[in-house]
Amino acid sequence: MGNSNQYWKGLEEIEGTLASPQGEFGEALPLDEVFSGSDTLSPNRRDFLKYFGFSVSAVALAACNKAPVKYAIPYVEKPENVTPGVPLYYATNCGVYGEGFPILAKVREGRPIKLDGNDQSILSKGGLSAIGQASILSLYDTHRLSNPVVKGAETENWADVDKAVTSALTSANDKGIKLVTRNVSSKLMQQAIDEFKGKYSNTEHIVFDPISYDGMLRANSSSFGKAVIPNYHFDKADVVVSFGADFLGTWVSPTRFSADYAAKRKVSSENSEMSRHYQIESLMSLTGTNADYRYPMSESKHGALLANLLRELGGAVSAPAMDLPGNSLKKIASDLKAARGKSIVISGSNDANVQTIVNAINSLLGNYGSTIDLNSSLNIAAGSDAGVDKLVADLKAGSAGAVVFVGVNPVYHHKDGAALAEGLKKIPTVISTSMVLDETTQYAGYVCPDNHFLESWDVFEPMAGYYTFSQPVISNVFNTRQAALSLRAWAGAELAGEQPAMDMAKALVEGMGANWNQCIHDGYYQSATASSEAPSFSGDVSAAVSALGKSADGPELVLYQKVGVLDGTWSLNPWCHELPDPVTKVSYDNYVTVAMGDAEEVFNLKNGDFVKVTTANGEIDKLPVLIQPGQARGTVGIALGYGRSLANMEDNDLVELGKNAYHLVGRKNGSASYVVGGVSLEKVGKGYEFAQTQTHWSIEGRDTVREATLAEYKANPKVRNEHKPHIVSLWDEYDYSKGHHWGMAIDLNACTGCGSCVVSCSIENNVPVVGRDEIRRRREMHWIRIDRYYSFNLTESAEINGTAHEKGEGLTKEKEINAYTKSGKYDHYENVSVMHVPVMCQHCDHAPCETVCPVLATTHSSEGLNQMTYNRCIGTKYCGNNCPYKVRRFNWFRYNLNSKFNYHFNSELGRMVLNPDVTVRSRGVMEKCSFCVQNIQMAKLQAKRENRTMKDGDVTTACQKACPTNAIVFGDRNDPNSRISKLFRDDRAYKMLEETDVQPSVVYMTQIRNKETETSANTSHS
Amino acid sequence: MIAIAILVVILFLIAGLLYTIQRYMGRMINEKEPGAIEPSFYQRKIKPVMAEWNPTIVTLVVIGLLVVVLGAWGYKYGMQEIGVQQGYAPDQPINYSHAMHAGTLKIDCQYCHSTASYSRHASIPSANTCMNCHKGVQLRDRYNGEVSPEIQKIYNAVGFDGQNGTYIEGYEQKPIKWVRIHNLPDLAYFNHSQHVAVGKVECQTCHGPIQEMEKVYQFSTLQMGWCINCHRERGVDVENNNYYEELHKDLKADGKTWISVAENGGLECAKCHY
Repeated sequence: MGNSNQYWKGLEEIEGTLASPQGEFGEALPLDEVFSGSDTLSPNRRDFLKYFGFSVSAVALAACNKAPVKYAIPYVEKPENVTPGVPLYYATNCGVYGEGFPILAKVREGRPIKLDGNDQSILSKGGLSAIGQASILSLYDTHRLSNPVVKGAETENWADVDKAVTSALTSANDKGIKLVTRNVSSKLMQQAIDEFKGKYSNTEHIVFDPISYDGMLRANSSSFGKAVIPNYHFDKADVVVSFGADFLGTWVSPTRFSADYAAKRKVSSENSEMSRHYQIESLMSLTGTNADYRYPMSESKHGALLANLLRELGGAVSAPAMDLPGNSLKKIASDLKAARGKSIVISGSNDANVQTIVNAINSLLGNYGSTIDLNSSLNIAAGSDAGVDKLVADLKAGSAGAVVFVGVNPVYHHKDGAALAEGLKKIPTVISTSMVLDETTQYAGYVCPDNHFLESWDVFEPMAGYYTFSQPVISNVFNTRQAALSLRAWAGAELAGEQPAMDMAKALVEGMGANWNQCIHDGYYQSATASSEAPSFSGDVSAAVSALGKSADGPELVLYQKVGVLDGTWSLNPWCHELPDPVTKVSYDNYVTVAMGDAEEVFNLKNGDFVKVTTANGEIDKLPVLIQPGQARGTVGIALGYGRSLANMEDNDLVELGKNAYHLVGRKNGSASYVVGGVSLEKVGKGYEFAQTQTHWSIEGRDTVREATLAEYKANPKVRNEHKPHIVSLWDEYDYSKGHHWGMAIDLNACTGCGSCVVSCSIENNVPVVGRDEIRRRREMHWIRIDRYYSFNLTESAEINGTAHEKGEGLTKEKEINAYTKSGKYDHYENVSVMHVPVMCQHCDHAPCETVCPVLATTHSSEGLNQMTYNRCIGTKYCGNNCPYKVRRFNWFRYNLNSKFNYHFNSELGRMVLNPDVTVRSRGVMEKCSFCVQNIQMAKLQAKRENRTMKDGDVTTACQKACPTNAIVFGDRNDPNSRISKLFRDDRAYKMLEETDVQPSVVYMTQIRNKETETSANTSHS
Repeated sequence: MIAIAILVVILFLIAGLLYTIQRYMGRMINEKEPGAIEPSFYQRKIKPVMAEWNPTIVTLVVIGLLVVVLGAWGYKYGMQEIGVQQGYAPDQPINYSHAMHAGTLKIDCQYCHSTASYSRHASIPSANTCMNCHKGVQLRDRYNGEVSPEIQKIYNAVGFDGQNGTYIEGYEQKPIKWVRIHNLPDLAYFNHSQHVAVGKVECQTCHGPIQEMEKVYQFSTLQMGWCINCHRERGVDVENNNYYEELHKDLKADGKTWISVAENGGLECAKCHY
């Protein structure tokens, strides 16, 4: 049964250093003092009187039988479509992605409470990333500016502001005005910019993308004459080869790429073919964890390796010979050749030369026009690094009359941010449209706060010929104005009517010849489909290869983005930081990731040591070190997007969170380089404790995850699931065949581990944010967690402790792993394979938690739900201890009334996001996943009201809706035609810890990797 | 209540004091002239009997009785009175009479509480609903030609000029702050449409003879026991709702025609608590 692999979650497990968490037994009981008879503990008379007085008054207060007076205040004039208690859904756009991302906003009584992907749009396909989910909280952010600020003074009147700004701009026009925006995908903004430039003739418009795609734009310009980001169709690719591009986590358009990628990964009895994914990368990325074959390799070698790949494929190019371990480059090349026109080769590099080689490879393989589309290009980035650097130089020199920042924060995001800030002091007029007093806005004399994206009208063109529409789902929370309107006002346009932005959007839509109502209803509109004609490649590969340059000496630093934080623009959001990073499982921090071999042999560092990072571009004085399995030796990684600071930060864990690393970004071949050679680490301290969830809830080596290779699956669809355990039942059987019997299926082949479900669940179910210290004490409250397991594969045969082990074999015993490490071999730490397993309450039909509850606070429903009744719970935690899956969470505090947890739960405004259909739990009770019972009940009620039976798909859970890859399916197992009952019967389906006969209502589908069988880890050793 | 308790305690103390004085004086007289006072009934009959009793048992019995009595009172108080607001009838901002509107005029409940059949909340109607009738109905005949002061309150909310019969331009509307009478705790989920549209429960079942109430009061206890009793007694309308198709078939196969809400899972915790 199961796997022979030894799965482990953290280095602590391998090294046997897993300590009990801080705080669980943080303070020993004062037994000695009690029994020694010392009187330090015995209360004196005054204490007694205090306690006595307190108890008497407390009892007297508790006995008061006066309920507070509550009011019910109806509308004076009820809007026609608003019904208290009934949610409305609006199609709009998520502004986290500057280019527009179609979503549906759930609105209750006029306040948006949940965002989900728009499943009808090809750009979203129903999923929404973790940060996209979390962005709803920024609407209710107490840091937002409530009024425009002119020279440090708040003013309520926009007309006064416009007057002052217009006169300042007019006088600045002679010296020149710099208008700095992000990539402009908004049609309203484009129109406003045009008008602005019309009025102020001496305006220079500069596009500043926080994360640069300059290299790719330049490469596509020289290769195909189009400076665009192409659209990738992973759902058409049989072979995907990624060189450091984290396309499932952070690269270009990860949410939709995940959907497309997973569509090619799901196998079933009808379709047993799946794509093959090679990942060559330096750091362990989310994408790397999902790859079939992953090769750790320093980023700076990627260019040369790509040149070699091009030559293998038959391209005429001369490059020094290079290969991957085990001559794997040949295998990649032969796979690619076999999948001509059905493959994708991508690189995450921002070097135009590397991207040119990638273009040559894809062109040679005939991928343009089939899997890669340059015509329906993605409008996600357009910034030129040279242009931005010139702007920064100009501003540093003070050679501009005015600068207008629209939705950008270059003091934080640019490598020369500090110098830029100094320069801004010399510019007479600095205008910012930021919603908050961010790093750049603190230097602005005129702050004209923009609307939140949920308060705005807009038309985006995120893909050529594909438009998406924003509509406000709430009226302005504060006295703010949409930035496009501000620009127009300063350009002298008359902002007539109640909603000038809507009028602009409407005129644009009518100009396209589209139906306004239809567009706003759907949220998207596709004009003519672009031709799929493949452009011819005209790049100069030889020049690109020779210009690659040689890799820098010494270890190289890779600056990367984390899935929950991205570039940091939207990261002042507690949900984003509470979410453990999908790979490291660390919440709240950034850190220096180091390979195990480097840490021990090169740097002599341990997990949690503090280091000073020094590079040619700058230094970071103190960051903790995290040893990351899977990381290539010779590489260290630091996440961008941390170290944000606002002028008015609330007191919580987001203050001084991590260190900003943007100043370490270098320049290579004219583009921003996120790879910096010659980094040195100097130990300056030790003993940092990460808020790392990976080894919380240990499963003690039980068989919880199953994986097999595609060949094994084809030979035997039931592979790993053949042996059913012999079950002895302690429980009486209950007949669930009548009525509903809810169940969930999770396809491990589709789950990428991105964490969208975790944030979505927190929003839907009012799960509190607990902060870093509480997570260190293992008190995170997430109802769904994603377990991340590592396993080892040997890269060469070895004799360990007297036993011979074959190449590719999985090491299974901790002793062997230890011995292997001691022998100075660190290969296996680089060559780990990873699995992601989402675990929530399994709603066991024989639930062990239920039998131990002394007060029947957790019981079973006739529909197979494990019900948690908070008002009955007395907090013994027996249930949590008896749960084999460790999915129950205890409320240690009243998070909503405790100033220690100063996140959104503690402010009137932040509480607006709470779901009114779900109880806010109090202190001292257990809670856990309810299968979103509120949605189940609502869907049943809907069916009853509509006088019909329920259909498959009526009930969706929050995790299911958020999942970009549709890995989660929920439904009624008693409906023989439902997707869920088919999945329950699938050969790949297995129940976690089936041998305990708790009969979980969740099945997992065995993960299948598209690997050659002879290198499989699983078959050789059982 | 507390004052009475204090009074009782004081009276007991006085009685005890008087009794002690009387006993001392009796003893003193007895010492001087034995037999001058005839032994009382207590001394003759009860004292000898009590002398036989075990003082420990007596003490325990007395304490036990106290525990039972106080405990019963505490149980009743704690379980049936804390948080129970049956009969709660607060003053409302407008002296609105359900007896007039629902009783005499026989206006359907859902004319005003229109969302009861499709939402969680029955909702207090917005003021514009009132205006549907009260734009015209002003009861001037009862108030010397003036608009009724209670109706005027609606006009003040929406901004309506009763004299001219027109809405006032640019009026800042003031919502009416009704006092909420029926308050369920946050931990209990209740949906009106489930009961009104699906369960076909009459409004009066829970809200009492609302058509007779001049001033609305809380008719039911709104305690969980009250909810559950109803779920035990009422049946599911399996015949007229296609949602229950399967259930109806199974019932017929078992030769039954009726199933209570409770038997159909209506007592399960997560039907109301989540």
